[in-house]
Amino acid sequence: MRRFLVSLTLICLLVTPAFAAKVKIGFVNSMTGPEAPIGENLTNGVTLALEDLKKKGIDVDLIKEDDTGKPEKSMAAFEKMATRDKVAGVVGPYSSKCANAIAKLSEKYKIPLLIPVASKDEITKQNLKWVFRLSATTYDYATILLDMATSLGKPKTMAIINENTDFGTSGAKSANLYAAKKGITIVAEESYAPGSPDYRSTLASIKSKNPDLVFMVSYVADSILLMRQSREIGLSPQAFLGAGAGFATQAFAKEQDISNNIFSSTQWTGDVNWPGAKDFAARYRTRFGKEPTYHAATAYESMMIMGQTASQAKSDPKRTRDLLKSGKWNGIMGEVKFLDYLGYTNQNRHQMLVEQIQGGVHETIYPPKYVSKKPVYPFPGWTK
Amino acid sequence: MEIFFQSLISGILIGGVYALIGIGLTIIFGVMRVINFAHGELLMLGMYATYFLHAVFHIDPFVSIVITIPLMFLYGAILQKIFINRILDALPQNQILLTIGLGLIMSNAVMLAFTSDYKILTTTYSSSSVTLFGISLSTPLMISFAITAVITAALYWFLLKTDTGQAIRATAQDREAARLMGINVKRMSIIAFGLGSALAATAGALISPTYYIFPQVGSAFTLKAFVITVLGGMGSVVGATLGGVLIGVAESTGGVYFGSGWKEVVVFVLFLLVLLFKPAGLFGKSRT
Amino acid sequence: MMEAQTIPKPIIPRFPSLKFILRAVAVLIVAALFFVPNYVEDTYILHMMILIFINVVMGSSWNILGGYTGQYSVGHAAYFGAGAYTTMLLLQYKQVAPWYGVWVGAAAALVVAVIIGSICFRLRGPYFVLASIAVAEIFRVATLNLKDITNGAEGVLITEIPPLVIGGRLITDWASKVPFYYIGLVFALLIIGVTWLVRNSKLGYYFQAIREDQDAAHSLGIGLTFYKNVALAISAIFTSLAGSLYAVYVGFIDPSTVLGLDVSVQIVIICIIGGIGTITGPVVGAVLLVPLSEALRSNMITDLLIKVGIVGEETRMGLFLKEHLSQAHVLIYGILVVVTILYMPAGIVGFVRRMTARKARA
Repeated sequence: MRRFLVSLTLICLLVTPAFAAKVKIGFVNSMTGPEAPIGENLTNGVTLALEDLKKKGIDVDLIKEDDTGKPEKSMAAFEKMATRDKVAGVVGPYSSKCANAIAKLSEKYKIPLLIPVASKDEITKQNLKWVFRLSATTYDYATILLDMATSLGKPKTMAIINENTDFGTSGAKSANLYAAKKGITIVAEESYAPGSPDYRSTLASIKSKNPDLVFMVSYVADSILLMRQSREIGLSPQAFLGAGAGFATQAFAKEQDISNNIFSSTQWTGDVNWPGAKDFAARYRTRFGKEPTYHAATAYESMMIMGQTASQAKSDPKRTRDLLKSGKWNGIMGEVKFLDYLGYTNQNRHQMLVEQIQGGVHETIYPPKYVSKKPVYPFPGWTK
Repeated sequence: MEIFFQSLISGILIGGVYALIGIGLTIIFGVMRVINFAHGELLMLGMYATYFLHAVFHIDPFVSIVITIPLMFLYGAILQKIFINRILDALPQNQILLTIGLGLIMSNAVMLAFTSDYKILTTTYSSSSVTLFGISLSTPLMISFAITAVITAALYWFLLKTDTGQAIRATAQDREAARLMGINVKRMSIIAFGLGSALAATAGALISPTYYIFPQVGSAFTLKAFVITVLGGMGSVVGATLGGVLIGVAESTGGVYFGSGWKEVVVFVLFLLVLLFKPAGLFGKSRT
Repeated sequence: MMEAQTIPKPIIPRFPSLKFILRAVAVLIVAALFFVPNYVEDTYILHMMILIFINVVMGSSWNILGGYTGQYSVGHAAYFGAGAYTTMLLLQYKQVAPWYGVWVGAAAALVVAVIIGSICFRLRGPYFVLASIAVAEIFRVATLNLKDITNGAEGVLITEIPPLVIGGRLITDWASKVPFYYIGLVFALLIIGVTWLVRNSKLGYYFQAIREDQDAAHSLGIGLTFYKNVALAISAIFTSLAGSLYAVYVGFIDPSTVLGLDVSVQIVIICIIGGIGTITGPVVGAVLLVPLSEALRSNMITDLLIKVGIVGEETRMGLFLKEHLSQAHVLIYGILVVVTILYMPAGIVGFVRRMTARKARA
């Protein structure tokens, strides 16, 4: 046993120096502009990842680039990183439109691109060999929620409310498609421009259609507005399904008057039993004074994977790509492996989760393997 | 029918707040003939002030306007004195661009200072409502509507009955004539901009409990403010008041009957129709 | 002046005038630009050049309507978007090659221009500005909502551009930036040429008469609506070319990137900072602003300050700048706009002209 330990230490000592060289990694993100509120979570996640990589003896020389949410700026950033900085790989960008724009550049310069959370289906459906995606796609946000709802009850009708953005419309589209498969009729479909203070009339007209399910896609702040006004109007279906960002945040859960018993699909939660997830959540809270979002978690994990891989590949982009393709990880995002399936290339088959807010806290309730609390179904109605 | 009344009532309640935004812009335009493209940013500053007064000192958002109003009046006056006064005779496109520039500075300075996180101000009554004849009325919106009414009334009194108010109206009617009559036009401009920004900030404060706050929140309101002001007739305070309510209702009912995605279009089309067929505004006196 | 005429002209040594030198330099620069891709392999620089060309085209086209005719449209995103969307939709869903699509896009922009012109040109001054914004916003929201045609907020992504083959010979497969560079350059020269022609023709005279005093122009028998629409048509067509080029080059568009209000504002800022109503103004504006915003975005300015030694890398100031300067680039942009308008109301070109004129007098 002792000899084993000694040899293990020796191996570690021998191996570490090989990793000590600095690796240059690019990070594109929306740090300013309209997407900045969410972009900031990604930056924070990456900050923590760099610290953890350092602990592992990997010193990352991070080239941080702001894309301001505009595709042509993200292209400029990528050109610069590929030709000037000669990075081993790039993590980012946040938004799907920027990811779309630079995916082709990554292929052209043969620099691997690891997209943490931009969820537009098409990005990994173009047979691009150098583009990898960690998160699940928009389609999965809708499917997991409807799987959950049909496993708990027998909903027949559904209303869809989505914000009129890329994420919102594609979420609504997938909900439409999948509902048809599940035999659920869509009785109302409303899209709204994010940031309008009054959704009451829309909600009232949805209420009059009396749907079993209300499916919503919206970001942080609008989700609070939508639920506040639903309560005001007295909209009370079998279940409220929140697909994506807004409903999964702590800020939303804290509004207990309106958040209790709402379901939401998410890429990640702070209490999931994937290795290091809880620890990451705790560290994030103390460090940044707020709750980590799944964006932060995906960015953290992407940077961890890219950092380790690039360092193992001695900063060679080609080898980094090969190692990303063949590698397997198990961290705060669960098991990660980049696969080719159903028309996707280098897509991680990420397990989505469904949470329900109970007593102001997100509890994982679906799939059964990850359940932390029993779900409340149907919606018990509003408390006055 | 219930849906119609529901959207009508909530439209009117929201419209009250819109009216405040519009009145502020119309006063500024009336007195200076400058279109203030930074109006939404002034509203945004009002929101942040309200948020921090609530978060740090636990002052109710509806109470904190007594602090926000003088603060933002002062801020507006300073802006006017340092920047706007210097371009009163400049080309219109330069005036527009200057206010756009000021708006960019404000929103991005706030972003650097407080990050671009969404701030949500939650009060005990944020999502409470009263139900009347099957129509639900949002409590915070009703309070804010009442406050709007009081402020608007006070403003009318100020403009009609006080010397300063009359001087402001005189300046709005004819700058040169007012100057000849011995009115201190520069001072009136400063007061007007102060008033305009205080009103925008008040609107920001009043919607804070039912809305959310982030640095770029202003631009949507700037556009709305233009529509309201033109609808009511540029420079007309009564027009802006009614224009605000009208836009609130148009948005809310338009959302129901044309689909919520189209409600902005409803508003803009209304705006263009008024511009084309009644360019002086629905309630404005025609001016050559 | 009268006196000066009576005095016999002094014999001036035949030095080429300043104007001549400037023109010669301009011609040389243009000629050199055609050879840049032969010598510059740095694609980052080529990318910046392409963006500069696109911005020159946008600015110069706006300048014809805003600068020469005095109609300050803040809704030029509508034409930019009309070009971009038409070209992209034809390419992606109807397999129409972009070199045809571009012209369909220009035609679409022309239609949009006719609609906008018929609405907005009845209005003057600030009302025109607001109406131009409103119409452009209507186009944006309509594009967002007409999902079946435009794919809504999801935008249009092109997966492949067909190779350009003329007479059986492959001209380009669009894999490199070089074809985009030349297209951008040609478009830019084209609009500058058109501006020059307009300025030195009767048309330009009418435009400027409308700018100076609409009523006076009208009483001189200049058809206001007709000439305003002509200016708008030229302006719209070239703006749409810029839009199409941008779209095909980036490969992805959505309503907020090509139809947003910030696109319209960006166009106006380029012209005002450069100097409106001059041929060089929009060029100067684009050549300065595009690299500046890139330098701010990518933290190059901090790196430069550190390299030159003004700020130490590990000092508080250095760290602070590294962390915040790139985030502050829109703030700096705003400050620049404000400073320009307060101190150089005629833009950089106007400012330089006044300076040189003052020097000449002194």
